[in-house]
Amino acid sequence: MLDAGTRQDEAIYKPNAAKNHQNTRSWGGRIATGAHCRGCVADGKHRGMSEARADFVIVGSTPTARLVAGLLASTHGKAVVFSGESQSGYRLPRAVDLSVAQITRPESWALLRAGLPEALKLISRIGGRRAWSRIDPIFFSEMPDGKEALAHIRHMALAFGHAAELVPSSALGMGRDGLLLRDAVLLHRPTLEAGLDRWLEQHRVRRLLDGDALTVHADGSAELVSGEDRVEIGQAVLADDAAILAHAPKALWPPLLTRRVHSTVATEPTRPMAAALMHRLDTGLTLVQQAERGIAAIGPGAIDPFAAALGVLLGREREFRQAGQSSYEAVVTADAAPAVGRLSGSGPDVLAGLGPTGAFLAPAIARWLCGVAAPAENAWLGARLVDRPTAASAVAEFGGMA
Amino acid sequence: MKGQPNRLGTDRQHHFHGSAINRTKPLQFRLDGRVISGFAGDTVLSAALASGIDTVGRRDGAVLALSSRHAPAISFAALAGDHQRALPMERTLATDGADYLTSARKTKGNPITRLLRRYGRSLAIDLDRPDALARPWLGTPAAPGPQADLVVVGGGVAGLSAALAAAKRGLQVVLAEATPFLGGKTRLFGTQEGEETPDEAIARLRAAVAKADAITVLTSAEAFALRPGVVRLHQVEMLDSTPTGRVIDIRARHIILATGALERLPLFPGNRLPGVAGTLEAFELAQLHGVWPGATALVATSSSPAYRLAMLATDAGITVPRIVDSRPRPQSRFIEFSKAYGITLAAGTIVASAAAAPKGGGLTVMPQLSMEGFSRAEPALTVDRLVVSGGWQPDLTLWHMAGGESAWNGSSARLEPHAGPDGIVLAGSAAGWLSRSACLASGSDAVDVLLGRQRRLVEDRLIDPIYETPDAPAPVGDEPDEAAQPVFLDGGWRHIERPRKVVSRWPAWLPFAPKPPGWSLADTPQPLDIADIAAGVQLGAIPAASAGIVAQERVAMVAVESGEDDIGPSADPPAPAAQLPDRSLRGRNTVAGRPTRRAAARYGRADLFQCGYVRSAQGHRRRGADCRGQGRGPRDRQCRADGMGARTQPRRRHQAGGAVSP
Repeated sequence: MLDAGTRQDEAIYKPNAAKNHQNTRSWGGRIATGAHCRGCVADGKHRGMSEARADFVIVGSTPTARLVAGLLASTHGKAVVFSGESQSGYRLPRAVDLSVAQITRPESWALLRAGLPEALKLISRIGGRRAWSRIDPIFFSEMPDGKEALAHIRHMALAFGHAAELVPSSALGMGRDGLLLRDAVLLHRPTLEAGLDRWLEQHRVRRLLDGDALTVHADGSAELVSGEDRVEIGQAVLADDAAILAHAPKALWPPLLTRRVHSTVATEPTRPMAAALMHRLDTGLTLVQQAERGIAAIGPGAIDPFAAALGVLLGREREFRQAGQSSYEAVVTADAAPAVGRLSGSGPDVLAGLGPTGAFLAPAIARWLCGVAAPAENAWLGARLVDRPTAASAVAEFGGMA
Repeated sequence: MKGQPNRLGTDRQHHFHGSAINRTKPLQFRLDGRVISGFAGDTVLSAALASGIDTVGRRDGAVLALSSRHAPAISFAALAGDHQRALPMERTLATDGADYLTSARKTKGNPITRLLRRYGRSLAIDLDRPDALARPWLGTPAAPGPQADLVVVGGGVAGLSAALAAAKRGLQVVLAEATPFLGGKTRLFGTQEGEETPDEAIARLRAAVAKADAITVLTSAEAFALRPGVVRLHQVEMLDSTPTGRVIDIRARHIILATGALERLPLFPGNRLPGVAGTLEAFELAQLHGVWPGATALVATSSSPAYRLAMLATDAGITVPRIVDSRPRPQSRFIEFSKAYGITLAAGTIVASAAAAPKGGGLTVMPQLSMEGFSRAEPALTVDRLVVSGGWQPDLTLWHMAGGESAWNGSSARLEPHAGPDGIVLAGSAAGWLSRSACLASGSDAVDVLLGRQRRLVEDRLIDPIYETPDAPAPVGDEPDEAAQPVFLDGGWRHIERPRKVVSRWPAWLPFAPKPPGWSLADTPQPLDIADIAAGVQLGAIPAASAGIVAQERVAMVAVESGEDDIGPSADPPAPAAQLPDRSLRGRNTVAGRPTRRAAARYGRADLFQCGYVRSAQGHRRRGADCRGQGRGPRDRQCRADGMGARTQPRRRHQAGGAVSP
């Protein structure tokens, strides 16, 4: 699997040549992204969207997508269009947003550690205190590789000041190793989403309406047709898996990204688990137990084998009845590392493979898209461009996800 | 009748004598130690209701009504520990001398009351427990059922018609009806011009089915899981005069779902208090079992058949002081007849709230004029019973389980079926048909669809809207405040509540004023019944465009184990499908979430996470880590009421027919 952290020296990332974000352009001393925003920036009217131009369109329904859109508009003064459903309140979850993950790279721990206070302050301001909670997630494995990865993750977490404790196998079942990470932040999507939507509206981010048509071009630009209006958009950012699958031009599909069927099974209330959130490195299965003790299980596989594996994992003492089930496509990276940046170097931007931590990286990503990222952010994101070659590495960036 | 305060008398001519009971054969049985009196033909539920038990228990301090869709499982006292032998109250025929216990935990409370088992009107079940109304048979392994070419789920007129048509075409048919009686719900809706009466139609169909050797009828058989080719159902059959439950899988190439329509619950505080009943529930209890609690009833509706019920109740001696209708200018043949009965009608009016009357039984109902943006509270009414109707929603539960699609129809405010899987076809009200003639024709048409035969014209002969106002969406009251009775989205056992208004001492415009919490149906750890979803759409919690997919996602899926080979976890499926791919395979390796032996062998050990093990570095037990304390009129009048002289016109012509083709 690709050791993304060791690729900084290679030719893909050229901060001096490309400023921060690859292919960003310098017009009149400004750093601007996209081909059509110059006039908007010049006349300063772009935020009202009265003219038919915008800097960015952010496509995606996740908190990451909303945070990036809102930050581009609020902090960076960009004209932003947002295309994404508000569905966290009624659809089954497809992912979780957690401030920690099974990360094996020191630079990723460093970036998350540095960015967490800023992200948390922003999330609290937007969504209120109910938008997140502190939990102690457990990562566990029963395979030798996974156990090795857990040991590595523990060292990394401890090195960056994160309380990480081994979990006795008696708590997880014989033959399993577990690692508990203290005081992680878990976002509550339904609550946060409502706040984020208010925030986007407050910053005059234009949202696609029913009947609006968005076309993403191969050069990364996009076009929005809304009734009689036509909006030219400088740069499209495909900020979640569904957006990538729906809008990435076929000709630009990178070898790094593959489609995979994932499923979510929600259960009726059952007995408590060892922790409110558990992640199995061997299979990529994530279990989240809600306050009313229903479990949401999210992971790769079609519903049938997924539900079977879940039943085995939870055991006979946690016989469950399904409260919901869903199957969908997800995008995974071949090397289990994040993939960001423009498709083929000049197409639409993608945000893929960020794992559960994407929302906490949103401020860094927004800065990077605008060309004002800090050097460390620049280096981290630049080393994880989507058009990097696919190569194997002994240890994946997200342990056990591949 | 001694011990049966809610049983209607037979001293006058009316239609609510109880067609299913034999009053010459009284019986008695025990339920939680209480002696219940009834008649042969009663179900355990109808006898309990006749005997004055109208409450299941408390949930969050609020008492909830006992009904056919909200009743606990029971078991024989001698088999109380065997949950797999549990029986449904509403489908179990009462037998003389039986001793039943409800299987759910009781509420704590006065120990002397508990000791003496004197719970008054209530079964005293602790509804705060998530498994209070669980149906244990959902996890019971299934035995093979009778062989069939076609399974028809639903024994209403559409299902009967389909079974007969299939038998005529040489198919071996199993007809499964959830209730103990064939005929369905058509009796409530009366008769249109030129039609035979519902009773005549049902009697004709039943006689034909009884004569058909190719049709096997299973009554008290509720289908609860479905995938193409297999129907799993739980049946209560009488073995040596003892009701016994069994779970069977019926495998057949063809399946017709004639599951009818569910009655929607209007949304107002107290909409599930004891004494509140749906029109259909009230009609069936009265018509089949002669049960009608109380002497006065207020009818609140957005659908015309409720007027017919009001007239029939008046004939039986019940005083109906008023009918409130949410439609501003309702027109119906039944309305004209109701006026002749002297019943006061209030158009454009909804129920704002209901509460238990201060003294004694009964309800205090607050009507509210609500028309064209104008709203005004009306004087409260005190009645014994509130009969409500929020319109009709096709029951697509099994359809969704099988992978069938649906979409919200804004004009009718209901989910309607779209494309479905091969081998499964809808018929009757479940397919969206409204008139009895169309339901009958759609049954035959469904068989033609399955057999690939030339289809027939099915048309819904509806009375012109000038004369018969269509149903309005289920009435929705104001947002409840913290002191109000709970507002439930549906009358089933899911207990999904409408969120309450959070009162703040700070004006909402202040930046630090608390924001209203988002309402997340996604976090609800129960499946969402189809009426919950319809209510969610009306309340804006679910966008109309997403209602169909949410209905699929949140259907109460019960896995059906198949004898086919397992398919292992697919690391990288070659052709990922869209939403809900290959539902025919879903859950084959689990039974109600429990892994089968085969799955266990394939996926590894059946280990579990021990809770209570995780301690903080300081040795303190952390939140979420502790498994302990888990709790927290005359005959001529009736002719008119049946719609004599009603003018009809075909509303809908579908060459494609009432069944939804695959």
